[in-house]
Parts: sequence; C-alpha cells; structure tokens
Amino acid sequence: MYTTSEHLSAFAGEGLRTLALAYKDLSEEYYQVWKKKLHYVSTVIDNREEHLAVLYEEIEQGMKLLGATAIEDKLQEGVPETIACLTLADIKIWVLTGDKLETAMNIGYSCNMLRDDMNEVFIISGLAQLEVQQQLRSAKEHILGLSRVSSTGDVAKGEMFAEDSVFEEAIIAQCALVINGLSLAHALEPQLEHTLLDLACLCKTVICCRVTPMQKAQVVELVRRHKRAVTLAVGDGANDVSMIKTAHIGVGISGQEGMQAVLASDYSFAQFRYLQRLLLVHGRWSYFRMCNFLAYFFYKNFAFTLVHFWYGFYCGFSAQTVYDQWFITLFNIVYTSLPVLAMGLFDQDVNDQNSLRYPSLYKPGQQNHLFNKRQFFLCTLQGIVTSFLLFFIPYGAFSVMVKEDGADLSDHQTFAVTIATTLVIVVSVQIGLDTHYWTAVNHLFVWGSLIVYFAILLAMQSDGLFGIFSSNFPFIGTARNCLSEKTVWLAVLLTTVVCILPGLVVSFLRVDLFPTLTDKVRHLQKSRKKQGPQEQNLRRIRRTSSRHSAYAFSHQQGYGELITSGKNMRMSTLSSTRSLEGTAQSSSWIENILKRKNEVACISPERPDPPDSHRDFRGSADRLK
Amino acid sequence: MGKAKDKSGPLARRPDNSAFKQQRLPAWSPILTANTVLPFFYLLALICMLLGVWLLLTVQSTQEIKLDYTELGNCDQCFQLRKNVSYAAQTCSCKVEFSIDRAFKGDVFFYYGLKNFHQNLRRYMDSRDDEQTLGRKTKLKNPSSYCEPFAKDVEGVPIAPCGAVANSMFNDSFTLTYHPSRSRTIPVPLLRKGLTWYTDKNVKFRNPKTDNLTLAAAFEGTRQPLYWQKPVYDLDPHDPTNSGFINEDLIIWMREAAFPNFKKLYGILNRADASFTKGLPKGNYTIDISYNFPVQYFQGRKEVVLTTLTWFGGQNYFLPIAYLVTSSLILLMAVVLTLAWWKFGKDGKNMKE
Repeated sequence: MYTTSEHLSAFAGEGLRTLALAYKDLSEEYYQVWKKKLHYVSTVIDNREEHLAVLYEEIEQGMKLLGATAIEDKLQEGVPETIACLTLADIKIWVLTGDKLETAMNIGYSCNMLRDDMNEVFIISGLAQLEVQQQLRSAKEHILGLSRVSSTGDVAKGEMFAEDSVFEEAIIAQCALVINGLSLAHALEPQLEHTLLDLACLCKTVICCRVTPMQKAQVVELVRRHKRAVTLAVGDGANDVSMIKTAHIGVGISGQEGMQAVLASDYSFAQFRYLQRLLLVHGRWSYFRMCNFLAYFFYKNFAFTLVHFWYGFYCGFSAQTVYDQWFITLFNIVYTSLPVLAMGLFDQDVNDQNSLRYPSLYKPGQQNHLFNKRQFFLCTLQGIVTSFLLFFIPYGAFSVMVKEDGADLSDHQTFAVTIATTLVIVVSVQIGLDTHYWTAVNHLFVWGSLIVYFAILLAMQSDGLFGIFSSNFPFIGTARNCLSEKTVWLAVLLTTVVCILPGLVVSFLRVDLFPTLTDKVRHLQKSRKKQGPQEQNLRRIRRTSSRHSAYAFSHQQGYGELITSGKNMRMSTLSSTRSLEGTAQSSSWIENILKRKNEVACISPERPDPPDSHRDFRGSADRLK
Repeated sequence: MGKAKDKSGPLARRPDNSAFKQQRLPAWSPILTANTVLPFFYLLALICMLLGVWLLLTVQSTQEIKLDYTELGNCDQCFQLRKNVSYAAQTCSCKVEFSIDRAFKGDVFFYYGLKNFHQNLRRYMDSRDDEQTLGRKTKLKNPSSYCEPFAKDVEGVPIAPCGAVANSMFNDSFTLTYHPSRSRTIPVPLLRKGLTWYTDKNVKFRNPKTDNLTLAAAFEGTRQPLYWQKPVYDLDPHDPTNSGFINEDLIIWMREAAFPNFKKLYGILNRADASFTKGLPKGNYTIDISYNFPVQYFQGRKEVVLTTLTWFGGQNYFLPIAYLVTSSLILLMAVVLTLAWWKFGKDGKNMKE
C-alpha cells in the first residue's frame, strides 16, 4: 500500500494521470442478492441517491489493491506559444476541461495561462448556491477593490465599473478564475449567471474544471448570449461536440480521440497549434478580403446605376437607359466580375509570416474596422460622386460635339458607348488601386476584362451581328465611329482622372498621416523584401515553473454525483428566453478549450527525479529562450 | 502538381503543396509611398495643363455663328401660322439675315439646331423599326408593334418608315445666299450628301430591293408617315441614291440626340464653287427658310449654326476649360500632399508595434 502510494506520488509528480486498481471476488448468490437490492432501490421515490450510495458503499468494501497505472498524455507541441500568440491578438481564452482541479491548474501553469505573478487566483468550489454566490461576489469585489486602489483616474461608482468595457480592460490586472463543475452548475442558474459572466470577464484567465459536456455548451451559450463577441470552441473528443456546435465557430482536432469532434466542427485540423494560423492568417485575410470585396462591389454598382438618375433630368424622367442594353447585361457578369473575384480570393495585405509575427493585426477584425456603417457610407458616397462625374463630364463634352468631318457625335448611342467605356476603365483602375497583392491571376483578370470589354463591344456593334439579329443590335457602327475620335478619348481621360484622384488623395493622406498597424507592417515588409525570409520568431514567454500537485487521488467525489443529480442536464428555460444585448465589449472573446492532458513533457524531455525537477525546469527554460 | 500521385498511404489526404493552393503565388505588392504618388500628381497636373492649353488654342481657331430663327424677323409670321394645325399644308417661307466679320477659312458646316426637343425620351426612342429601315420586305408591310400608334394609318395601310422618330422628322429647308455687294447675290452651294456615318448610310439603312422596279414601286402598299408632306421615295427626286430609307436627312434625324438641345448637320459648303474655295468670305448673307417644323408645342426653339471645324470638333469650350480646372486642382492637391508629407509623414512609418 505504501509502495503504491509512493509510486502514485512519483507519477503525479511527473504530471502523469494516475489510476489505482483494486479487485474483489464476489460469489454468484451475493451478486444476485445485491442486484435485486439495486433494482429495488433504483425505483424508490425519495432519497434514492442516499440509498444508492449506501448500496454502492456496501459492495465497494474490502477490495484488494492491485496497483496503480499512470498514463502519459502530452500536451501537443506548440500549445503554449499558440496561446500566448492568441492572447496578444486580444483573444480571450477559457479552458473547459473534465479533469480535476489540480490537473487543470497544472495545465494552466504549463501553458502560461496561469502565472505565479498573478495577483490572485480565485477558486470557486462551493457546493451550495449561496456559497457559490458569496464566493463569486467576494471575488468580484476583490478585483474591483484592487483596481480601484491602483487606478489613478477618477473613481467611478461600482456599478459603472462592471458595465464600462473600457474599465474592464484597465482592470484586467492579472486575476484568474478557477471554478469546478459543481459550482458551475449553481453559477449557471439564471440569478447567478450575470455575476459569473462579469467576474469571468474581469479575469485574465478562466479555467473550468470537472465540467460535463453539457456544461461546456452552457458556458459557451452564456458568453454568446450576453456578450457581443464571437465564440470559437476547440475540442477533440465526443464530449466536446455540444460545445463545438454551440459556439459560432467550431474547431475539431482530429487525433487520438476519434472523429466525432471533427465531424461536428466547421474547421478541423490535427494539431492545436494550427489554430494560430487559422485565425491570424486565414481568418484575418478572409475578413480583409470580404470587406474589400463588399466595399468595391457597392461602389461599382452605385457608380454604374446612378448615372441613370442624373440622366433622368435630361430625358424627361422617362427611364431611358444611358447604356446599351447589352452592356447592362454584361457589365456585372463579364466586364467587372473577374477582377473583383480575384481580389476576393488572392488579396493579402500582409504576408502570412508577418500576420503571425504581429498578432495585434487581428484587432481591426474584432472591432469591425474594415466594414461598418461608416465605411459603407463612404464607399456609397464614392459611388455617387463617381456616377455624377461619369455623367456630367461627358455631358459637358458631348452636348455640342461633332466629329472631325462634321457628322453627328452628340447622339445617344455615342454618349452611351463613351460613358460605358469610361465606366469600365474607371472601375478597373479603381480595383487596380484597391488590390494589394497582384498575382498573375489578378493581372490576367484585370487586363483581360478590359480587353474582353473592347472585344465584345466591337463584336456587338459590328455589321455581321446586325445583319443576323437586326432588331437586337441597334448600336451598329457606334463603337467604330465613336472610339476613333480623339475628342472622345480626351473626354474619357479627363473623366477617369477626375474620378480616381480624390480616392487616391484620401488613401495617401490616410496612410501618410494616420498609419494603422497594417500600413506599418506593409511598409516594413516592403523594405525587408530583399532579406531572406526569417523564421517565425515568436517571443518566448518565460515559463515560470511552479509545481502544483497533480494527484489523481482526490478525496473529493468525482462528478458522478453531478450527473446523477441532473443539475447539468436541465437547460434553464428562463435564461434561454432572455435576450439581453449585453455590455458593449470592445474586444472580442474566443473560448478555447485545451486538450486536457499533461504538461510536463513539453518542458523537459527526460524524466527527472522530483528533487531535481526545479533545477531542470529552469535550465530548460533557458535553453528554450 | 500532385494530382497524378496515387492517393494512398498515411499522407494521402494531405492537401497540395502548390503555390496556388497554399496562397504563395508570387506577387507584386505595391504600396502608396510619397516617392511614387507625389511625382505622379505633378506629372498629371502638367499633362492636364498642356492638354487644356492645346485644346483651348485649337478651339479658339474655330468660328461659329448661331441664329435663333424661331421668331426672328419675318419668321415670326410663319411661327404664328404654324401655331394652327389646320394650316399645316400651307407653305411658309421667311428670310433671315446675318453678316460675317471674319472670313470662315476652310470647310464650313451648316447645322440646324433644336432646343427642348427630347429625342431621348424612352417611348420615343423605342418607336422605330430598324428592320423595316434595313429594307426587309416582311417588315415593310408589317411594321413592328413598337411603332404603335404610328405603324398603320386609319385604313390599316402600313406606314414606311414607321414610328414616332421618323414621323417627327425635321422638315425645314434652307437656302443660303451671299451678298458681296448690295446688288449682287451669289447662292452658296451646300453639299447635301456625305453628311452621315458610313455605317449608317451603307449598313443600317437600306432600301427594299427594287429588282428593276422603281423606288416608288418598291414601296407599293405603304404610305408616308402622317406628318410628312412627301412620301419617303420622293425625299430626293434628283438622286436615287439619296432617296427612300437611305436619304441622308432621314438618317441624320433617325440618329437620336442624347440631350434636348442638339444640332444636326444639314449641309457642307461646296468649295468646288469658285467663289467659296477658301471658305465663306466676309460680308452679308441671307438664309431663305421654308418654315415647316412647329416648335411651340414643346416650347422649343430653332436655330441655325454655321461653323468651321478642327480635329477637335466645333466650338466646344467645355473640355479645354475642364482640363485647365482639373490641372489646377491636381496641382493644388499635390502641393497639399507634399506639405502634409513633409511636415508629418516622413517618419511616421518607423514606429513599430
């Protein structure tokens, strides 16, 4: 017995998951008797749990110890770096695990989510609702008290602190919250959930241990409902499926645990560290591309359509189109669709290495900077102004224009072709200015679209097509007559210049006077292009290596109690019907659920004896720097 | 790229490591720096200024005379006459006088202009049949429904050419006379052909095939539009290549103008004549107008324009002035940008993180 417990401490000291095994021989009659009792007791109406407990206690006596097993389950490589990186990107990370408190806290320390230099680590482990409530409240007041003491600005009322998101950022002075499943069951009740959420938002790190799958989903749901945040859940086992489904984005890690999480998720990959690339590179690029695409699309279509509004004043508001019917059909499909598609697929503002190197590039996406009401208004305004110039400059030029040989040039068809040509050129130049990353495909699509425009224009207004379909192609001869006149090209040039330059001025001024981080990184990228690609050089966070015990032997009950009590199964209907807006949160939070396995292996390769462990950790921490 | 590999083994499901799929395509990433933007602006301002000046000088070398003859002189009587539709069949002519101070050197072009006549109204523009004017036999007797109500007359006889556009054709005619001295008059010959686009005259408008018939016979079974005084095959009795659908006045009228105030070519000075080889000499001129087109219904005006042309067209001051204005605006913006860059932007980039 003593040997076994020594072994167990040794295993736990190395952070292995320990399991003790014992056995007992039962005779058939004894078992039958017990089984009947079990069946009877499970149908009892009152105090069923107690009777069951007594029954279980009866059979689980006098067992013989077999021994102990220890399972080594490493954290995947790169997990702490990933977490550090994501934290720099203003992403809040919460851990929801089914492990014990000690194991979860150990994992937290090894990933640097919990640190020794944190002001306070609040452990909520109350069993009754009242107790949990008191613990939550006192923790919250403690934090607010700490920050009130340390804040140098105005001292606001306690109520305002909790609601003001700016203060929340200022308050986050290094506190951590650890809550176990039983207390969480109480804390997720409608009356306490806001306190829990507020407290969790005030802490830098939240670790929930001993949570059931249903509770994982409930926690995600809580954040989703009350915070204006996007939630992402990462999991690898079947017990994470409900959480993955509840969050906005579900990520499944495919590995040892089977494919359930992968099948339920939106994205899946094999290693946790790929999350960094998923978010900081691909997520960011996707947001950037989508916003550019949208803004350009609105601009292009407003410029195209509003010309008719201006023409209305001159055609008696009879809804006469300015363009050829065929141009209207083909404009959005053929002439301008491919360049913007290429921009939406290939554009990169910052290359992938720099996206990873500067995680705070992720913030504009969180704060909706690239496409919000203001940006929409600006791109719409640009479209309107472009349409105005597109109409009135040719109007001024054409109203008294004649050809070199005196023939008519101020007719409707010439005007139509001129404005159409100008429009295609202007929007192509504009997308040329908007594209940040010119691949061969972009070149092909942009120049190709222009060439295709002229080819189709000349083809459609040719004699041959008119001969076959006479009533459908009334613009016969217009392109040839109109585009061979120098005055027309002068008008096109002037219009293009006037339409493009204001946008160019504004972009240049913005980049010059108020450069965002993206602009600075792009500038850096350009000046560094000559040097070879540097390796990813994330700052290594100094691993403070404090040891906490990881005994599998817990004298507390497991969570069988919790499940049988049914507290985690009930979805409280009250909280699900509430539809609060929640506090305005400037940073977006993402919950991240770790693979809750042991942590030690990533620090030192070989197994040191416990007394030497401190020295080794420090040594290896230096090695890794 | 890896598609040919047989997909098996532990790495079978690995995605392609091609540059296209892994978003590593070689690319050019331009950014707006002061080195490129500022010189570009100055260069553009210079180009626009040069173009503006050049165009202005070109335009200034043209000469133009405009006469609004709606109610000018004795055209006023015709104007009053045309107010009453029952006198539409009556002819009315009037005389307008003007003088030229400086001779018009080179080719002189004679235009008629209308104000406030919306040839760009949608229903008006739709009211024509391009296949009929192309000379398709089927369409000659059976004009398209777009021409309604100008497709058939009250007896059901099809109209050629059908539609509102042809129906409202401008039918004033002009004769220009030069008075070198009080007693002498020299008629100024105007070429009334070669006024249209080549494609219009030869492709878009064709007479129905005659097959040894006269033009009149080719149009058998149709009648002229309601507002016309002559049938379409009689538009130019002297020249069969200018009669029927390919009549140049008709073609010019059928090319609808984009705006309510427009001018259309009527004739070009025939410089083969001895007196006018160099253009129009200075002196007094009169125009005899056969005043038919009523404009009071739409509060319109009629005018006559005589102008010389350059490669840039006639007197069109808009583009040169617009270029000059643009160039000064660009210069202003360039100066502002340079100042902004000089004062603030030169070192703003180097802050990291």
